[in-house]
Order: sequence, then structure tokens, then C-alpha cells
Amino acid sequence: MEEVDRIIIHSLRSIGCDLEDDVQSLRQFGTEIIIASVVQCLKVIIGDIDLPSTLPPGMSARFRLGASLANNVQDLGYKGGDLGYQTFLYSNETEIRKIFMFLVEKLPKESSQAADEPMGASVLLLRAISTELSHQLSLAWSPPFLKDRGIRIRSKAPGWQREGACCLQHYRSCHISTPHSLGNISTKIPKELSSYYKTHMPFVTNQTQLHRDTAPSIMETNALEIATQQDWENEWNQIGLASRLSQQEFKRRKQERLLKMIKDRLQQDSQRQDRGEGHAASSDLQQILNTIETQSKAGVIKTKGSRFAHTEKLQYAKDEEKTMSQVGLAVPAKDTEEELEKKRQEEIEGLRSELLNLTAQLEKLDIEVKKFSANRQQMEEVISTEAKNSEEKNASYLVKKRTLDLLPEAEANIGKLQSVVDTSAQRLLNLAKQWETHRIPLIEQYRELRQLNSKRESEAQKKLEEIKLFRVKMKETADDARRKDELQKQLVSEYERMTKDVNRSAYTRKILEIVANIKKQKQEIDKILLDTKSVQKEINSLSGKLDRTFTVTDELIFKDAKKDEAVKKAYRFLAALHENFEQLIQTVEDTGVVMREIKDLEEQIEVESNKKVLSNLEKITEDLQQMKKENATLIAKVKGK
Amino acid sequence: MELAATVLENIVLAGDSAHISDKLFGQLVTCACQGIVFEENRNVVGDNPAFKDVDKAILKAVYGGLVSLIVEAAKHDSNEQNISTILEECKFTSDRINEFNKIFLSQKPHLQLLLGKISSSFPHIVDVDWRLDYYIKNNNLEKIDSAVYLVNLKTEIPDEKELQDVQFSCTLEQLQDLVGKLKDATKCMEKIAQV
Repeated sequence: MEEVDRIIIHSLRSIGCDLEDDVQSLRQFGTEIIIASVVQCLKVIIGDIDLPSTLPPGMSARFRLGASLANNVQDLGYKGGDLGYQTFLYSNETEIRKIFMFLVEKLPKESSQAADEPMGASVLLLRAISTELSHQLSLAWSPPFLKDRGIRIRSKAPGWQREGACCLQHYRSCHISTPHSLGNISTKIPKELSSYYKTHMPFVTNQTQLHRDTAPSIMETNALEIATQQDWENEWNQIGLASRLSQQEFKRRKQERLLKMIKDRLQQDSQRQDRGEGHAASSDLQQILNTIETQSKAGVIKTKGSRFAHTEKLQYAKDEEKTMSQVGLAVPAKDTEEELEKKRQEEIEGLRSELLNLTAQLEKLDIEVKKFSANRQQMEEVISTEAKNSEEKNASYLVKKRTLDLLPEAEANIGKLQSVVDTSAQRLLNLAKQWETHRIPLIEQYRELRQLNSKRESEAQKKLEEIKLFRVKMKETADDARRKDELQKQLVSEYERMTKDVNRSAYTRKILEIVANIKKQKQEIDKILLDTKSVQKEINSLSGKLDRTFTVTDELIFKDAKKDEAVKKAYRFLAALHENFEQLIQTVEDTGVVMREIKDLEEQIEVESNKKVLSNLEKITEDLQQMKKENATLIAKVKGK
Repeated sequence: MELAATVLENIVLAGDSAHISDKLFGQLVTCACQGIVFEENRNVVGDNPAFKDVDKAILKAVYGGLVSLIVEAAKHDSNEQNISTILEECKFTSDRINEFNKIFLSQKPHLQLLLGKISSSFPHIVDVDWRLDYYIKNNNLEKIDSAVYLVNLKTEIPDEKELQDVQFSCTLEQLQDLVGKLKDATKCMEKIAQV
């Protein structure tokens, strides 16, 4: 029983019951502790239950608490005899033990739950955080000037911990590049790129402006590439495979699509703007659209270059102007202002007249050019029509010449022509036949090929689907493997945590011992059973023998008894003897029964004495007295009112 | 721990004895660790005459790969086993794996100290000055008679060398409220630590 008590007390402690350290068996449990423990168990098992965990002072409240506890325990499926308030309030050891055994069995098992549902990485992380925090909390505070740049040396795991914020830096990253596809011989690296790699590219740790940004930049670069890769893979698996294009083709199409989309959007917006605003904005947009178009067509960014050239030109022009003006300023202005004005006027007028002349001349020349070009077009048209005419006439002349040549021997020539026509018709027929003979197999071949093609296509479709399936499976198995790895890690850590609990191995050892004991006892019981059986058999055979010998002697003596008086006496003695012995046997049996009864009764006495009836009775009478008192005071109160 | 394809490619190059000889490999790993940790060593591979004979492009690629691996491994607090699996996938020989582990694990605390520095934080209170004033009266009221606490918190702020002051004044109730909040915060921390 001690073992059971220890297990019960251990599990009660583990669910948070407040038990003294020296409590070793259930015998030491008082009513207070029993009530508190049962309430705690019920709280753990049922979850939300509204019971006070301490014993209330009033007797009636105690009674109610005991009754509700009994109800709850019975609701859980307890089947160990009658359960009532008295079980908890006026306890006896065996019953309490039974109830606690039942409740402990009903407790939700944490370890099995942990094995069933895998703890996520987040749980592990939380645990790590909490252990780290408890380490840090266990240390005393130390002033900042005792720490070297916010780092404090400690004895536990990593040997240091960071405190304070004085030396933290923000996460800043910038682009970092490394040479790539060097190991791959199949991809050729352009000469310029490889020379850049060799001579000019700085080492990775030397690329950021501030050295402290190196680590963030490296992490960022790595994360970025992984993310891009994953994104691309997702897209390729979902859309790319179904489109049955090669990867490059798919990418190119996507690019085109995106450019087109942007163009459409911009066009729509520009149209919307046109209604509201002037043409300036729309023409700008038009320009952008054009640039997009040229980009998508040529793939070369021409406009940027041109724009650059443009600005350059503008700049240079400005510079020239400046120099010119500077030169102009350098010339000394000797004339007076009036003269200057006059000169200027004259100059302006002269220039104006010259301009007018020139524009007039230009206009004239323009008109002439137009006239000439119109004339030229007309002449070209005329030339082409003439050329056509001459060709037609040439052809008709040729035909007529032939016919004229044939005219002298008309009959013969007609016959010849007829035969020529016939032979050509024959030849046509032949060719048609030949064509037919060639055509049929060709058509059949064509049909077969077409069928084959369609079959192949359907096969390709099937294969594609298979590939998709395989990909999904691959992912699933990879995920599975990862999950299992994590689970294994968790379980390992769990196991490491568990080994601290020495109780477990002790329990298993004890259980094994108990099982061995039970086996031994069973064997002994079997032996005793065998013994009793053999004894019974002996008894049976002996009684049978007795019966038989008795009947034989009875008959023998009975036969002689009629003749001899002495034998008659002997017969009577025999009968008496038999009867007496029977009585003796009966008495022996009766004593056995009585002995058994005595043992039973002794056991019962023990059980009853275990139940602490006397003390419980005293308690009950005390409680009754108290209750009476309470009732009396209540009545007095009522009357007083 | 996940590594990008180019990084893995560069690590594979590092494991190839045709490019990096066994003797140079250890030096390269040491240089990579130091290049991350110390500013004066940021160009240590370029300056080291031992690497003269190696093709510079390959050297840069290999160095980049190793640096990425070291930073990521330190970030994830990887142990010997995790690193070994990754390097085995990159076709490293066991000698090289052991050498890498030896150098990396000895440098890991330094690397983690460096990475631990990268963070943002609210101002961190390290000290406090306070004064209790008694406010007797002002020009409007003849008698006020209340206590005023002047509190000056000394805080550490990221990227700042000097301590920064946070000053405020409060009444007794407000101060009690603040103390209550601080106690709540402490309890919260203890609760988290108990899980």
C-alpha cells in the first residue's frame, strides 16, 4: 500500500496540491487536505468547476461541499461503493485511497499528449526563451560601468549575456555581390565580367561602406535569394508547368505580359486624363508609352541614352552661350548710347528685310519643289502605264506571229496540234493515276502520323500530370521528413528533460518487482489449489471405500445375523459404530466451517476498526452539536427579527 | 538553416581541392571568421600573400560562400552535426568538415556577440536620480502643500555612446502607479521565465 500512496502523493503534488514534504502516506491526510486535493483533481480533470479549495467554517456549507464533491466524483464514473458527503468529511483510509486511485487514473496524461501531438518549433523557442530568461533573472543587477560594452560574463552556457542598449546597432543592409556560376563549366562567363571579378570586385567583407553592416547585408542577400527562388518555384509549379513552355520562354512571355499590362493601364489613365486636362500631360504619357514599346521591341534602352544626349546637348549649348556672352562683354563699348541705339535699329531693320526676302524666296522655292514633285509623280505613272501597254502588245504580237506561221499547211498542222493535245491529255490522265497511287499511301501515312501525334500529345499530358503529382509527392515527403526531423529533435530534448526525473525508472523497477511477486504468489496459489484438490480426491476415495466396505460387512453380518445371536449383536454394534463415526466426521466438518466463519469475522472486525468508526462517530456527534447550535442561533436571529 | 543556390555553389567550390588546397582551406576559414568580426581584417584575404596563386575570381567566390555559411550558421546557433550535414551535401571531405568545425566553433561566440549587437531597443534604464520637492504655494493659491517628485531616468540608447536623461515630475499617486506598473512588468517576466 505504501507504494500506491507514494504514487498518489507524487501525482497530487505534480498537479499543484499543496502537500507538506513529510507526508508519506494517505493515513496522514486530514479532512482539510483530502478536500483540497480532491477539489484540485476535479479542477484538473473537468477544467471549469466552481468549488472552494478550502474547507468552509460553517457545518452546513461543509455538508454541501462534501455532497457536491461526491456527486462530481460519481459523475466521472466512480463505481466503488456508496459515495456521499461522509466519505470526504468522515474519511477512512481505504475508501479515500480508492477514490484517489480513481481520480489519479482519470488525470489527463501530459506525457502521452506530448508524444501524440508534435510541439511546434515555436514551443521549443518559447522554452528556450524562458530558460534563458530564468537564467538572466537569477543573476543580480550590476551597474553598466561594470560591463564591457554591454556584455556581462556569466558561468552558464554561452559564457556571456548582453545587457542594456548602449552598443546596439540598427539593422542596415546594402547590396552585396559575389561571383557566381564559376564552378559550372557549361555556362560561359563574358570576358568583361570575369576580368571584373578578378581585378576590381572587392571581397564580400569589404563591400559595405561601414564594416558593421556586413553581417546584416550578407543575411539579407541570402534571404532575398532564397525567397526569390521559392517564389519562382511556386509559380513554375502552379502555372509554368501547365503552360508547357521552357523556363526561358515562360519568363519572356511573362515579361511581355507585364509590359503590356503596364502599357494598357497607362493608356487608360491617359485617356481619362485627356478628358480633364490639356494635351501636355497626355503627350508626356504618349512618350512614355512609346518608350515602353521600343523597350519591349528592341530590348535596348535607347531612350535613356537619347535623353541623356539631349540633356548633354542642352548643357553644352548653354555653356557656349555663356562663353559667347562673355566674349561680347569683353569688347569695349566706346560708342555713345544714342549711336548704339541707331545702329541697332538699322541693323534690326536690315536684318528684318533680309529675313522677309529670304522667307519669300523660301516660300517660292517650296511651291516650286511641290510642283516639281507632283509633275514627277504624274510622269512616273504615265511611264508605268506605257510600259504595261507595250508588254501587252508584245504578247499579242507573238501569238499572232505563231498562228500566221502555221497557216500555210493548215490541215497537217491541225492534226499535229490535235495529236499534241491528245498526248498531253493522255499524259495528264497518267499523271493523275500516278498521283492517285502516290497519294493514297501518303494520306494514310499522314493520318497515322496525325494519330501518333495526338497520342503523343495525350501521353505528354499524362506525363505532365504525373510530373505534377510527383512534385507534390516530393514536396510532401520533404515536408514530412522535415517535420519528422523536428519531432525527433523535440523528442530528444524532451527525453533529455525527462531523464532528470529519477522517479520514473524507480517506478518501472517497482512495477517489475510487483509483477514478479504476483507471479510467485500465483504459483503458490496454484500449488495450494492442487493440494486441496488432491486432498479432496483422497477424501472422496476414502469415503467411497468406507461406504463400500460398510455395505459389504453389513451384508455379510446381516446374512449371519439370522442364524447366530452373537452375530446379531455384532451387527448392532457395527451400525452404532458407523453412526458414531458419521457424527464425528460431521463435527469435524462443522468445526472447519466455524473456523472459517471466525476468520471472516476477524477480518471484518479489522476492516471496521480501520474505518475509525469511533472517532468518526465522535466527530459526527460534535458536528451534530455544532449544527444544532447553528440552527439555534439562526432561529434566535429569526425570532429576534 | 537555408542557404541560397549561389552560396551553396560557392561552398562547393570551397570544398574542391582543385581550387583551394588543403593547407589554404584552414587559413581561408580563419580569415573569413576574422573578416566578419574585425573591421581591420575586412580585406585580410586580399592582403594575405598566401593566397597569391589562387585565381582571384574563384577566391572571391569561395570567400563569399564561406562568409555566408559562417554568418548563417552563427545566426542559427548551429552545432557540429548541422554543419556537417550541410557540408557533406556540398561534397566536402571529412577532414575539411572537421577543420571547418574546429575553426568555426571556436569563433562562434565572437560571431554571435557581433550578431547580437544588431538589434533595436527602447531606451534601456540603467540608473535613476530623484528629488522630493514640497510645493507650498504660488501666486494664485496661498496654500497648496503637496509633494512633487522629480525623477531623472538615465537611459542607454542604441547607437549613442553617452547616457541619455529622461526627466519628469509626478505626484505621489502617479509615482505609486508607475511603481505598480513596474512590478507588473517584473511579474510578467517571471511568468514567462517559469514556463
